[in-house]
Amino acid sequence: MSRYGVGIGWRPQISGFVAGLPGLRFTEVVAESLPRRGPLPAALRELRARGVAVVPHGVKLSLGGAWPVEAGRVAHLARCASRLGAPLVSEHIAFVRAGGLEAGHLLPVPRSREALDALVANVRRAQAELPVPLALEPVAALFDWPDSQLSEADFITEVLDLTGALLLLDIANVYANARNRGEEPTALLDALPLERVAYVHMAGGAEHDGLYHDTHTAPTPPAVLDLVAELCSRHRPPALLLERDGGWPPAAELAAELDAIAAAAGVPAIT
Amino acid sequence: MSDLAARQAALVAALVCGGAPPAGFDPDRLRAATAALLRKRAGEVAATWPLLAASLTPHWTARFTAWAAGRPPAGPLRDGWDLARQLLAAGSLTGAAPEELAARESWWRYDGVRPPRPRRWPAIGRAGPVAVLRLGDRIFRLPRRRGSRNTKTG
Repeated sequence: MSRYGVGIGWRPQISGFVAGLPGLRFTEVVAESLPRRGPLPAALRELRARGVAVVPHGVKLSLGGAWPVEAGRVAHLARCASRLGAPLVSEHIAFVRAGGLEAGHLLPVPRSREALDALVANVRRAQAELPVPLALEPVAALFDWPDSQLSEADFITEVLDLTGALLLLDIANVYANARNRGEEPTALLDALPLERVAYVHMAGGAEHDGLYHDTHTAPTPPAVLDLVAELCSRHRPPALLLERDGGWPPAAELAAELDAIAAAAGVPAIT
Repeated sequence: MSDLAARQAALVAALVCGGAPPAGFDPDRLRAATAALLRKRAGEVAATWPLLAASLTPHWTARFTAWAAGRPPAGPLRDGWDLARQLLAAGSLTGAAPEELAARESWWRYDGVRPPRPRRWPAIGRAGPVAVLRLGDRIFRLPRRRGSRNTKTG
């Protein structure tokens, strides 16, 4: 992925704000929110027409599930990539359903050999159908599986090595997991193959009952911006993307947040 | 079923159906995850059923999560639909929520069991005393029938 700088996830609720960002060079759209048939949203077509890269971001493939990834879901993601002329697509190291039940959110997989094999098999199934590279995003988890055989960094690195996939590093997830586990977030940054990062996510969250939840409904906290600076001092990623999924602030506040991200990363502002 | 499949299935059942926490997991953390899933679901259903959520404001999240706890997610459209019908049957669907429900009934055929299927032709949707006529994508409120009560629709 070439150097895109700072971007923000496209959502219908902030379509006008995104369209009004003069320096925007890339955005992301939730693949499952795009229609299976019929035209793409006009706002996305206009962004493409002015040369903004649009990355489809899948949330329901369940690549980390014990079951083979559903062909129809992969086909939709592949079609989104083709229709948007996307440079790459992304999905999660997670599962979202099991035993016929939908969890409704991204759940962590056990860091075991068996789970690694299932994930690698599903990533390869998806890659075989995708027209562009796939980046994988480790998730925020409120709990851990009891019997980890691999460290988080080793598990992620091995998946990337075995599949050739890129890394979508969510720096807010790194922060949330470290905080909820009582660990140092920079320890994971030191152990990950940062040269494999295609782009970075960040977002704000909320605290409930002593745990930090990555809700995407609040401004990116200063501690996460500090971690962006820590990351960029080690290896500056090609692109950084703010995710906001609710609690929409006034445009000026969102613009100031994008500026703060650009400043923390040492890249030009896009507002 | 593989060991991984069985363990993932047990974990999801514990999180969304109130199943017993699988061995070895921190039960407090799983409770926190269940609560977080319910809050997220409440937000998604509110986005799909804004008038239903508004009719229960400021208690929407509490009312929805109490209803949804232990009930596997069926997606925001069906979750909101099932809750609205239950409130209607109990005579407690208020505000503009009956009109929202009636409009949905005119757009889709939903038996409460299988996923809703779109209605292709003009249709009347009812929610208790409220009835709407949908022609194409336009909705017309029909006059209230005399003596009509909150009756189950669908």
